[in-house]
Amino acid sequence: MAHRVDHEYDYLFKIVLIGDSGVGKSNILSRFTRNEFCLDSKSTIGVEFATKTIQIEGKTIKAQIWDTAGQERYRAITSAYYRGAVGALLVYDITKQKTFDNVQRWLRELRDHADSNIVIMMAGNKSDLNHLRAVSENDGQVFAEKEGLSFLETSALESLNVEKAFQTVLMEIYHIINKKALAAKEAARTAGPIAQGTSIDVSDSAGGSKTACCSR
Amino acid sequence: MSTAAAVEASSMPRKRFSGLRGVRWRIDLGILPSSPSASIDDLRRVTADTRRRYASLRRRLLIDHHPPKDGDSSPDLTVDNPLSQNPGMHELLAPIVYVLHVDLDHLLQVQKPYEDCFNDEFDGITLPENNMFSNYKVKRASDWDSGIETENTHHIMSDGRSLDEIDPDTRDILLLSDSYGAEGELGVILSKKFMEHDAYCMLDNLMEGAQGVVAMASFFSPVVGSSTNLPPVIEASSALYHLLSIVDPFLHAHLVELEVEPQYFALRWLRVLFGREFCLEDVLVIWDEMFSSSNCRLIGDDVEYNFKVLCSPRGAFIAALAVSMLLYLRSSLLATETATTCLQRLLNFPQNPDTKKLIEKAKSLQELALVSNIVPSSSQRDSNKGQFRVSSGYSLPSGSAFPVPALHVVPDSYWEEKWRVLHKDEELGEQSNSDQGSAKNKLAEKLSLYRTKSEPLKAKSALNRSSIRQILFDDVSSDIGAVENHVTSECCEAPIDSNNLNVGDFPVVFADQRSSNWIVDETLMSGDNSVVVSKFLYPHDIGNEHEIDSVKSSVTSNSFLSDNDEETFNIEEPCSQNVSNELAQDAEATSSHVADAVPEQRATPIHWKSFAGIFQWFWKFGRGSNEASCESQSSSDAPNTNKDSFDTTTCDGTDNSCGVNKRIEVGDKKMIHTLRNLGQSMLENIQVIETVFQQEKGKFDSLDNLSNNILGVKGQSTAISALKELRKVSNLLQEM
Repeated sequence: MAHRVDHEYDYLFKIVLIGDSGVGKSNILSRFTRNEFCLDSKSTIGVEFATKTIQIEGKTIKAQIWDTAGQERYRAITSAYYRGAVGALLVYDITKQKTFDNVQRWLRELRDHADSNIVIMMAGNKSDLNHLRAVSENDGQVFAEKEGLSFLETSALESLNVEKAFQTVLMEIYHIINKKALAAKEAARTAGPIAQGTSIDVSDSAGGSKTACCSR
Repeated sequence: MSTAAAVEASSMPRKRFSGLRGVRWRIDLGILPSSPSASIDDLRRVTADTRRRYASLRRRLLIDHHPPKDGDSSPDLTVDNPLSQNPGMHELLAPIVYVLHVDLDHLLQVQKPYEDCFNDEFDGITLPENNMFSNYKVKRASDWDSGIETENTHHIMSDGRSLDEIDPDTRDILLLSDSYGAEGELGVILSKKFMEHDAYCMLDNLMEGAQGVVAMASFFSPVVGSSTNLPPVIEASSALYHLLSIVDPFLHAHLVELEVEPQYFALRWLRVLFGREFCLEDVLVIWDEMFSSSNCRLIGDDVEYNFKVLCSPRGAFIAALAVSMLLYLRSSLLATETATTCLQRLLNFPQNPDTKKLIEKAKSLQELALVSNIVPSSSQRDSNKGQFRVSSGYSLPSGSAFPVPALHVVPDSYWEEKWRVLHKDEELGEQSNSDQGSAKNKLAEKLSLYRTKSEPLKAKSALNRSSIRQILFDDVSSDIGAVENHVTSECCEAPIDSNNLNVGDFPVVFADQRSSNWIVDETLMSGDNSVVVSKFLYPHDIGNEHEIDSVKSSVTSNSFLSDNDEETFNIEEPCSQNVSNELAQDAEATSSHVADAVPEQRATPIHWKSFAGIFQWFWKFGRGSNEASCESQSSSDAPNTNKDSFDTTTCDGTDNSCGVNKRIEVGDKKMIHTLRNLGQSMLENIQVIETVFQQEKGKFDSLDNLSNNILGVKGQSTAISALKELRKVSNLLQEM
């Protein structure tokens, strides 16, 4: 059977999918990880989990994606849901103004429970339903800039920008980690004899990608 | 109240309406009277009443849209929370509607032979298909039951058989669907016309729990429960981890270590009652079992408990089934390294699992779930209890119900046992140097097979364990029961074949002397001390046959998993070495736990002590493990620095104690000869140990800073004295 322990990745990143119920989180996930889309998919109960491995600059990145039911937001799933998450895809439905209005609440949720350095991508999903659009792309863009988020309009149905959205998040995380690693090396060199500083930096960079991010 | 009796009663197969799942569910869910003496007319009257209630509720809601504020609060929930807003609720409804449909189909099948009877000359017009009543007008049948004699009595069926001659099931069905019976059409129990009414009543009772413990609606509610600070679904999730921690502490610890909180997967399992994990047919079978377990609260109001959901047999079954599923995935889960992969597996339960085995396993755990929920009333423990409740998720009620040891201790004791069993076999094999028994060969065959499958292993021994175990488990999971038996017998018999000296005869010996098979089984098969111990901590139920049986079965079946692990160690020598180091480290922790458990029984009833006595006796003579336990107990200060020595002594201890038992039973010369050999080899081993010990001592002096457990002078001396003891034993053996 295929239950093998694999270490065929260089980095392990946990990404959470959040947003109101019905915005298409699970379909974004299935499109990204399995290239599937289901029009009448069952609503998520609790949390669902998927993984996908991608390559960035010759490194293998394994993304572990946690997808919660929108309804669960403040209740059954505890804050541990965000533990170890280094990226978030915050999804709204461009045909439903309410889901866009609620983005603010989701951001607050992230600020309260997730790591402050979490990389956030806001995705306006269902861009295929342009004729039903309720939120203009410009509104999304303006909001994203104001909040310092990445932004894309996606369509899980048409497979538009889904891959790109995840890749952007993962890339950004990867670069942050790399920068940290470099800074750590730098710090280690300059700090030199101070043993304390060295040990902290090492754990932050080299071990960081595999231990801190893999939610073990 | 005897929980065992209640479980038995509730799980008893109900013969009545066996072919009509919808009717049975209505009885089980508390809509129809469950008393076997209830007549068909009684059922019909109750049915009619429930339909009237639903009809009036619907009328009220349709006419004025305001939800009723009067006393009748139960229907509000489904009205206030339209199904679409709560994913899952409609998935509870769907099987109910399906079952009602199937019953109607069944009715049509049954009616076919009597078509002439139903297709009567009432008006000679065939009415549209969708009106069930016109399809089987049972005008003629009406006087069968009511006793009203009409001018043309139709006691004789069209094919010449009288009503009394047809089988009771068919008769019931015909009576249930007789629109001329009690309450007329409204009382027709199998009725397409009132399917909506019936489905509503069933869903309502399922959601509200019909005054029982498990009310599904609460699983959708964020409202914090009264007894804990947690929402009911989170509490129920914790309950299944609680049960898992008793049944399989190692797996539990693994999940906790990965930070897999139970609600991450249990939320879905519980909310739709496993509806998304199994195909419909399996779900129906599971629900049959679930509903047939009573939802009544078994625990008195004054008794303290840990989890509300475990207060009724139904709730206990739900938790037990979840644990059964976890055990089914055991090796696969243990092979995971991250929460995500673990959860992926948990939420992608294998297609076509052996549902029957899963249910059987769940039933065997049901009683344990009920019993383990009771908190012994002791003021001393109240403070502990409070603490445990505040902490969320997977917290263990360690301080409250019974002394479950620290998390990292239990699993290792488990492995320790496995490792011992393995080494015992190995040692025996080496010593006999003779023909290898067929069973052993078989084992070896298996192992070589596994070796080809196993992955290159990483340094971390935990990973080694898991990955191999997972491979092994693939076989196991295909048929829990068969493997259970198979492994059990293998474990017992393999040594017999290969060696004259063996543990194989041992259970027989012991059983004869003690006439308590179950203890033997437990300890021999399971290596799971914590289960054994916790069992003894439920004083209320000791002596209760049923409880013993159920615990026994849970323990033995737990062991089938572990017995595979034994093989695992055979496969991977280096692996077992790695592990053994770890295990040895915890040997003394485990045994001290076991030892602690005994004196710590504050509210110990008398018979507990007697059992404990047997137990200790057993430990003392029964098996190598206890030999090691005693030993490490005595040297409990001796830390892991001398782990290698412990490894070896443990093996010898095993051989030794088995030998003693053997002697009790059979006194033949061959045995004595073997024993002598054994003693000799023991001595050799001890010499080796002593050398190692000296070396280790030197080595670890420099590594003291790295080790948490520094080998103190006292520890050294204790360990040495333990070795002396061993020497004594070996001398004794030699003299035999």
